[in-house]
Parts: sequence; structure tokens; C-alpha cells
Amino acid sequence: MALASPQIKAICVEANEFPQLSNQFRVRGVPHTVINRRAAFVGALPEPDFVTAVLEGAGVASPHPDPPPQAGEGVEGEINYSPR
Amino acid sequence: MALIPEPVRQQLNDRFDTVLTGPVHLTLYTRPGSSRLILPAGLGCPTCEDARQMAELLRDAAPEKITLEVVDVSRDAARVEIDGVDDVPTIAIGSNSEPGRIRFQGLPTGTEFPALIDAVERVSRLEHGLSEESVTALAMLTEPAEVMVFATPT
Repeated sequence: MALASPQIKAICVEANEFPQLSNQFRVRGVPHTVINRRAAFVGALPEPDFVTAVLEGAGVASPHPDPPPQAGEGVEGEINYSPR
Repeated sequence: MALIPEPVRQQLNDRFDTVLTGPVHLTLYTRPGSSRLILPAGLGCPTCEDARQMAELLRDAAPEKITLEVVDVSRDAARVEIDGVDDVPTIAIGSNSEPGRIRFQGLPTGTEFPALIDAVERVSRLEHGLSEESVTALAMLTEPAEVMVFATPT
């Protein structure tokens, strides 16, 4: 994704090696993806959903005509995505 | 004991020989001389020596295509800030001398090692692998965005 957009910086963090960072973002399972340090989702998503999550996490409107996913009851700022 | 066994090194050499097409620039942000003690964040670096070995392994697998720059964060704080590096070890992968925007923070072993190899190959070939729809959608980004993926070696 970072190769497809010059705006994106992609960081793969070894969760066990940085426990303070993992705690900061409430990592309970992997993969745990955090966008702009304020929105997050857990698990692997299909490509279109991943792109949507990144755009919404970055504050850009969803490019898909579907209604945007609703935030769940979990962590504040957490995005709950399920494959469309 | 070597971090990466010799047969795997040879496989990597052979693979890079056929797969890599363009240049790859690795930047290793590290704190040399750190002990292997696990200390609070910002102090020590138990995996920095292993990360150096891994970065050198990648470079040595295709020295005509891959360059490696080592940044000592304890001596070059300004560079660390400019490049936006949070902690060490971090390996940044780019196609030129600019700091790469694909990064591995921590030692990428286990299931993360193939992801590291894949990243090197994709940067070399400039192949993002995304659909046209995804590329079009991502073009809507007008501000820098950070995608941080937490993973574990197993």
C-alpha cells in the first residue's frame, strides 16, 4: 500500500518487542492495525475493506457506495469492519 | 549460531538473483553496542545486533542491487526525528536514498521474515500488487497517513 500511495508510511511492529507501544494501542491479538494512531481494527481484511479502513482512519470519506461501517462498542476510535 | 542458516542464505541469494530488478535502499536505525538486556523504552536494544546481521544478510544476498545505510540513533537524533523513527531496531525499505516508507520495527523473524523479503522484492520491482480500484481510492489521500500493523513472529 505504501508503494501505491506516496502518502502512506507502513510500519510492521513486532508486538512482543515493544510492549509499551502494544499496550498504548491495546493490542490483544494480531494482526492489529492502527491508522494514524487513532483508529484500529483487528484481523486480516480483504483488500477493498483494508483500503476503506485506511481512508476512513485517515479522515477521508469512503470510496465505496456502501454505508460506512459502524463503530463498535470496543475501544474508543476502534473501527469494526466486516468483509462486505 | 548464525541468525539465518546457510541453506536459507543460499536460497535467498538465488531468489534475489532472479527476482530483484531495481535498486533497494535499506536504512537500519540502531543503537550499536546495546546489551541484550530488556530495558524500558528508549534504553537498550536487545535485538539491535540481530537486526544488523539481518540487514547485512539482505544486502549481501544481492550487493549489486541492495544498499545498506546504518544510522546510530544515539549519535544522530536529528536524522531520527526527520525520518520519523520511533524506536530501534527499525529497518526502512526504499527504492532510493530517501528513507523508506515501508518499515519493520523490531526484529522481523518467524512469520515476519517472509514479509520482509516480500517487501524488498516489491520495492525492487515497484509492484504494489493492488487493484486499480484500490490505487484510485488511495489517490484520495492528500495528507500523510501512517498504517501501523502489530504482528508477532508466530
